[in-house]
Amino acid sequence: MTVAAGVGYVLIALGPALSLFASVIAKKPFLILTLLSSTLFWLISLIILAGAWRAFLPVKSTELWPYSILILTSVGFQEGIRIGFWRLFKKMEDMLNAFADRVSKPRLFLTDKMQLALAGGLGHGLAHAVFFCLSLLTPAFGPATFYVDKCPSIPFFLISAIIALGFVIIHTFSMVIAFNGYTEGKRKDQIFVPFAHLIAALITLINLVPGGCNIGLPLLCIMAGTTLYYNWQLVWRRLTEHQTTRSSD
Amino acid sequence: MDDGSTDSDPVTAGESSILDTLGEDVIRIVSPVSLCMLLVVLLVSSLSSTNDLSSSVSSLFLSSTTTPTSFSSLNLLLLGSDSTWEEIKSALVTALSFVVVVTLLTFLLVLLFYFRCTNFLRIYMGISSLFVLSFLGGFIFLLLISHFKIPIDPFTFAILLFNLSVVGVFAVFMPKFPISMNQGYLVAIGVLTAYWFTMLPEWTTWALLIAMSLYDLAAVLLPIGPLRLLVELAMSRNEEIPALVYEARPVDPQPGDRVRVWRERTDVRIEATENSTNSANVQTVQETRLAVSEEITAPLIEAFPQTGDRHLGTEEVEDGIGLGSSGAIKLGLGDFIFYSVLVGRAAMYDYMTVYACYLAIMAGLGVTLLLLAVYRKALPALPVSIMLGVVFYLLTRVLLEVFVVQCSSNLLMF
Repeated sequence: MTVAAGVGYVLIALGPALSLFASVIAKKPFLILTLLSSTLFWLISLIILAGAWRAFLPVKSTELWPYSILILTSVGFQEGIRIGFWRLFKKMEDMLNAFADRVSKPRLFLTDKMQLALAGGLGHGLAHAVFFCLSLLTPAFGPATFYVDKCPSIPFFLISAIIALGFVIIHTFSMVIAFNGYTEGKRKDQIFVPFAHLIAALITLINLVPGGCNIGLPLLCIMAGTTLYYNWQLVWRRLTEHQTTRSSD
Repeated sequence: MDDGSTDSDPVTAGESSILDTLGEDVIRIVSPVSLCMLLVVLLVSSLSSTNDLSSSVSSLFLSSTTTPTSFSSLNLLLLGSDSTWEEIKSALVTALSFVVVVTLLTFLLVLLFYFRCTNFLRIYMGISSLFVLSFLGGFIFLLLISHFKIPIDPFTFAILLFNLSVVGVFAVFMPKFPISMNQGYLVAIGVLTAYWFTMLPEWTTWALLIAMSLYDLAAVLLPIGPLRLLVELAMSRNEEIPALVYEARPVDPQPGDRVRVWRERTDVRIEATENSTNSANVQTVQETRLAVSEEITAPLIEAFPQTGDRHLGTEEVEDGIGLGSSGAIKLGLGDFIFYSVLVGRAAMYDYMTVYACYLAIMAGLGVTLLLLAVYRKALPALPVSIMLGVVFYLLTRVLLEVFVVQCSSNLLMF
């Protein structure tokens, strides 16, 4: 539906990501590099998943169970990769600290580490939005629109843009939560992230039912809001604890 | 354990963390490469809207929601017509002849450089960039004007084109020109040449890319390679090679910048590419170079003995890419062009391949820069990126597309 609508869909999916990028990440070149590498990481995990599932596609049935297996395996794989990502992040942190010692500059601050986690999460969210939403938006720049059978009330592009928005938020902030959880060793945070991801992915299964997207979309946005809130509480707690320990020296 | 002091709040302490400036050099080379690729993708997608194989993913997607997707239709999309074997043969012949021509011309370049005909080389490159900007640029502007129906009269067009090309030639070859104009015009030349290359048939483009990256690998690393000879000649004479090279210097140097010290042997690597099309005898010679240079006020180039545990003072940092603030990584224009050709050709299929190939090329560039920091020699910038780009293009087309379309058409995302 014309260029304006196409641009509108892109902005719906990527608006918060763009503002995060412009305000936090664009200022520090290293964060841009972290973003690019985490996007690449997510793409590689997606390609591996696609390779593993290639033989079974296309799934012609309209039953629920093949799709649920698809979702479960994909989410499980990606959460497993997240732990590997965290190990890489630790190694990078050590290298950066060693480098900082060599140039006699201060080591990584807590806010630095959180910004790195944010950049990593934003990279994942960006990759999700790009590959699941943006790459299919090309017809939206043309003169018509498209509706899926199972959801005749909302254009397909709008649904995928909103889902992408939800997942951008979930991916971005669950990375911050996960890194904090692994660093501090808190079980609650570590378990929250895979659960949130799994629940969000399972919510999209509701879209398989005719008319289900009317329920699925709001639920997904609620899930994104929950992740955001949890992250907010965690970061707030962490920063105030940090301030008090520092000022009590 | 003074954890508190090392973790002090940067805002109140007024200190800056290393995260503020680390990686600046790399970003300064990643941005123009990305800009060049973006412009080529925009040109390709806006000017080839008559190509009905564009947005094939969306056509696949539309067919998958209405009818069961059959693998034959997928195969048809992938293979195109049934004279594929003929296309592949002609593509291989074209690519091979191109590489042979480039090798001969590079040897000619080495010979000329050996006989100190640098003025001749500089004038030749000035004329070739004039050709690129005026003829190729004019051609592409005409395409844009006719596509978007821009109202412009021939005289304005001629004056604009003349002005832009002449200023472009000066910007690229005058030493004291503002650096931002130099960089901008280099990116423009890269965009125009890359768009020209994407007009080749599909198999030819891919064969050409792979052949050029193999040639690049051989020419730089083999002892008899022409580029390596050129590098050693330039090094032994302490001269600059006349070349079209993008220099990632900052536009306005801040006061108090630490002067960059990449201690290396100014091993520069040159690749001369010559493009002769069938229709127009446009001769374009561009030389590419990936080198890391030092910008010290005293033009002293230290031979860097490769001792293992050489410790430099606190002013100089030895390793890591993008340390210091006025480092100048130089990337040759041919690399810009071939990266953009790959992405432009991916854009002719669909945007998903564009994103995947862009990420692959960035990864390859990062790996090359890392290797450069480790080995400190002249390194070819093409092979890693192009190979990764081709691999990702194939993987996306064969594996990823079906998976993503299957999931998205059922509104299943994770």
